[in-house]
Amino acid sequence: MSETIRVMVVDDHPMWRDAVERDLAAAGLDVVGVAANGRDALARFPAIRPQVVVLDLQIPAPDGVEVTAEMVRQDPSVRVLILSASGEHADVLAAVKAGATGYLVKSASREELLSAVRRVAQGDPVFTAGLAGLVLGEFQRRSDEPTTDRDDTLTERETEVLKMVAKGMSYRQIADRLVLSHRTVQNHVQNTLRKLQMHNRVELTRYAIERGLDAE
Amino acid sequence: MSSWTSPAAIAVESRLFAALAVLRVVVLVNAVALNVYRADSFERPVAGVACVGVMVAWTGFATWAYAEPRRRTALLLAADLALAVGLLLATPLVKGAGFSASLPGFWVIGALLAWAIHYRLVGGLVAGVLLATADLTLRQDVGQSDYGNAFLLLIGGPIVGFMCQSLQEMATERDAAERSAAMAAERARLARVVHDGVLQVLALVQRRGRELGGEAAELGLVAGEQERELRRLIQAQDAVTTVGDDETVDLVAELTRLEHGATVTVSTPGFPVELPAGTAHELVAVTRACLDNVRRHVGEDAAAWVLLQAAPDRVELSVRDDGPGIPAGRLDEAAAQGRLGVSESIRGRIADLGGTAELATGSFGTEWEFVVPRTATT
Repeated sequence: MSETIRVMVVDDHPMWRDAVERDLAAAGLDVVGVAANGRDALARFPAIRPQVVVLDLQIPAPDGVEVTAEMVRQDPSVRVLILSASGEHADVLAAVKAGATGYLVKSASREELLSAVRRVAQGDPVFTAGLAGLVLGEFQRRSDEPTTDRDDTLTERETEVLKMVAKGMSYRQIADRLVLSHRTVQNHVQNTLRKLQMHNRVELTRYAIERGLDAE
Repeated sequence: MSSWTSPAAIAVESRLFAALAVLRVVVLVNAVALNVYRADSFERPVAGVACVGVMVAWTGFATWAYAEPRRRTALLLAADLALAVGLLLATPLVKGAGFSASLPGFWVIGALLAWAIHYRLVGGLVAGVLLATADLTLRQDVGQSDYGNAFLLLIGGPIVGFMCQSLQEMATERDAAERSAAMAAERARLARVVHDGVLQVLALVQRRGRELGGEAAELGLVAGEQERELRRLIQAQDAVTTVGDDETVDLVAELTRLEHGATVTVSTPGFPVELPAGTAHELVAVTRACLDNVRRHVGEDAAAWVLLQAAPDRVELSVRDDGPGIPAGRLDEAAAQGRLGVSESIRGRIADLGGTAELATGSFGTEWEFVVPRTATT
């Protein structure tokens, strides 16, 4: 990597925030800002323009999901990596649908965190097996609805890849098993995330039009 | 809290009195109109006008007085009923002994219903008896319609009283249920905050411990176990709150219990997957057998992943390990030697559920994949 990654850390636990900040800085990443709650995070975000935001889901209002949505709205190129202690299903899925690129449980090791930040910075989704299971469930639920557009359902290959991620297989193992390149596997996972988030935007737009909010 | 004094009961009472206020005006208009229409039957017209004036004034006063709970005193109710009875008793004096229609007429139901609302069944009965008695005793001859009116007073009072009591009890119970639901939700919210804080600390101890090494690393390991255990419990608890009857079981909650430390990861959809209890328990048992197999053949600390997917008509369940896989021909060889073993028993159990089982093995490890119809006949 030629340039240092600019990272913002948002967490309401000072000890935790400091530990993450220290680890990132020690690994040569540029921590350009920190915040302890959603309000401060959104206030500082436009000025410091980080590439990656390491975000705790459970922060004082606005919560991690709202912060993710707002940051992605302001800067679609920003990558949000969710760090969550409780890993509550609904919250994690909501954050990913709102535009987060990755998710890690807080007990992940320093190496896992650094690798996740680097991958997310390149736009590579960071999925845990658990998150992949949730996303699979979400697409399944969606395909059971009669009104779904075919555009935002998964292709067979994408489903296959996502299933393997949900079974804990690494991209390398998936590439070997399906006889694909590592890059292709990554693309499939990226498409999955894109479709999930696009569907969310379509839903939001539809909602806005129904409520007449687009008239402004 | 008593259904007499609870805020919900008082709210019900206030509503009924508001409705009664409208009714009082209707029966007043009716009474005034009838008295004006029959003005020529009055022996003492001045007294008649005075009585009508009293009814108008009392209706206005009663509407104001009953509007406020603290003004609904025994004195007010007694005065209300006394006035109604008094006007009935005054009828022969004003209209002469042979009167046919009483002075207040249906206006007396204002007092009757006030008693029924405030003193419920007993109040309605007492007021009904007093009014019916007053009405009947004054008449020289009791006609069919007089008897009918008295009978209505007698049964109307207690019925309205009983209904008022039932409404108040229901409102009180509903309030209590809403309160306990709100309390449960608040407790859950607080638990979430506490859990999150504890999880944060456990995760931090685990992480720093690993970096510091030595005894701290052991401490970190213990913290890590506790962290995963707590997270598993929270997820299982979330699943408990979803509704399901005794016949069906949420397979998501059941499988989540199999999650174990850093070794077993369970991935599921974010919604409950209800299955007949027998099918769900059998699937969990099969999953457990697969995981035992992983421990036996790959190692005590071998990682394994469980994935559940649910479509409306079927569930797909897979269990994978990261081991070296099963050497080609090994299973056939075992079968040829008559050792059907674990894998055959797993296949059999899934077949009993009407499903299919497939075993894949390779550089990616070993993987069982089960597809079971959701309308399984067991």
